[in-house]
Amino acid sequence: MNRGRRSTRIATYLLLLGIGLIFAFPLYYLIVTSFKTKSELFAAVPSLVPQALNPAAYESVLFTRGYTGLLFNSIVVGLSATILAIAVAFAICYPITRLPASRRLRAFVLNWALSLRFLPPIAVVIPYFTIIRTVGLYNQLPALIVVYTIFNLPLAIWMLRGFLDEIPLEIEQAALVDGASRWQAFRHVLLPLSRTAILAVVIIVFAFDWAEFLFAFILTATPQAQTFPVGVQGLVTQFEIIWNEMAAGGVIAIVIPLTLMLIARRHVMTGLTFGVIREK
Amino acid sequence: MTLGGRVGMRTGWSRRTRQEQLVYKLLLPVFGTVFVLATIPFVMAVIEALTAGPRGFVGLANFETALGNPLLFESIKQTAFYAAIALPTEILGGLGIALLVHRVIRSPGLRAAIYVAAMIPIVIPQIAVGVVFRLVYQPDYGILNVLLGRTGHDQLLWLSSPPLAMIATASVDIWQWTPFVYLVLFAGLQTVPSESVEAAQVDGASTWSQFRHIELPYLRPLLLLVLFFRLADVIRVFDHVYVLTGGGPGTTTQYLSLYIYRIGFQFTDLSQASALAVLVMAAMTIFYTIVSRFLPADRG
Repeated sequence: MNRGRRSTRIATYLLLLGIGLIFAFPLYYLIVTSFKTKSELFAAVPSLVPQALNPAAYESVLFTRGYTGLLFNSIVVGLSATILAIAVAFAICYPITRLPASRRLRAFVLNWALSLRFLPPIAVVIPYFTIIRTVGLYNQLPALIVVYTIFNLPLAIWMLRGFLDEIPLEIEQAALVDGASRWQAFRHVLLPLSRTAILAVVIIVFAFDWAEFLFAFILTATPQAQTFPVGVQGLVTQFEIIWNEMAAGGVIAIVIPLTLMLIARRHVMTGLTFGVIREK
Repeated sequence: MTLGGRVGMRTGWSRRTRQEQLVYKLLLPVFGTVFVLATIPFVMAVIEALTAGPRGFVGLANFETALGNPLLFESIKQTAFYAAIALPTEILGGLGIALLVHRVIRSPGLRAAIYVAAMIPIVIPQIAVGVVFRLVYQPDYGILNVLLGRTGHDQLLWLSSPPLAMIATASVDIWQWTPFVYLVLFAGLQTVPSESVEAAQVDGASTWSQFRHIELPYLRPLLLLVLFFRLADVIRVFDHVYVLTGGGPGTTTQYLSLYIYRIGFQFTDLSQASALAVLVMAAMTIFYTIVSRFLPADRG
């Protein structure tokens, strides 16, 4: 009995390890490929370990191909859209969580936000394409900033609302009783208490903005406004296949969201499930 | 002020407390703006779907063209196949791993490490995931064919033979989202009270009946949540498929989003694409209305 149990335990460990290796291997291979030299690439049998950590592919992607410009666009769009989204989300969540809003109003706002999450981007981008060309914002960063702000708002609203619901109303009311104005209570009591919440929402929304592809792909045309994922797609499909550069592009695209998500790891699942999964 | 007075006559504005008025004063400008910005595309899509450039109003002609194209139904069928491969694998796989880790791994450190590791595929941009799997499935350089060759097997055209291409694109979905299912269900398992599990074990309940009668009821709302989120994502699948196969070979992996993209931006028939967009928005609205009642999210 005991021995049987022990062997199933070991078998389970091995099984989980095997699953882990299968999941990890493609990423490992991506990183390895990104550090290979041209001659290593064309070896008859691709090696699983690079001869040296050769940064040539990264230099080529970033400088020779000028993808630093795309990185810059991604950062500008991501930061602007994230700041806008958190500001708008705060303006929407504050009245529905801190003031006596009716249940119906609250449910309407939250439901509306959640329903946006279910819309396929391709259906939305077709009319936006026409609108944005009509108002002369095609191939310009402001167009992306507005669209990203709107479509990451559901995430921002739901996450922020979850956090705000956890801050007791009494804390602000105490300030109000002491003679603070509503603005002062917001500015000096609620805002400092929401610091963690704001940071978590900002990190996760930025990571989503950073990863977005379809809107940027359709609403931009030249490196002037293209974002990094659009550039990575170009590395795959437009040029001759240069594996190490394609892999390097992939690694750069991964590093930023991965780092951010590891920092905000306690809140990633909350964001992805719209508050259903909560970390303590 | 004058506006407040006018509205007050009709809706009893003045009877609301000052705080209730503040709710609307704060909410309306911002929420109104984003609501309009998010609603404009619906209106524009309808207008465009009913017109055809210089020819002006054409009634339902664009919808007739859109629905008359057999490739539309082909793409819906392919999307359904993709979902039929990916969703059951992700849900059963994620459930299996969640149960295994929950039952066998006790060390909190190891659990935390698995938790973080499982998050990695989820946070990778879809485009980069496409790149990752290009390196796995490519005919000459891809690691899978290299392995097949080394072990003396025939190499396979993963991305350019019809059934394999679909399996390859679905496998990417499985790689990226099985960990998500695992994370959600694992979190769900932690909410099962340990007393009920212990009581069942004392009663000599089998592992199966422990799952079926004690754990499953706690997981059911989460399984629904996962199913709905994954369904919504499968309908929008685009990025990694575009990078991997571009919808090919032929139209094998031309899923719904890729099809609409092709009509709108490769055949530049924006009127027909708008008609498709309207149909998709309508379908998703119906889908959402039905589904949202069952979502466990606290929506009040």
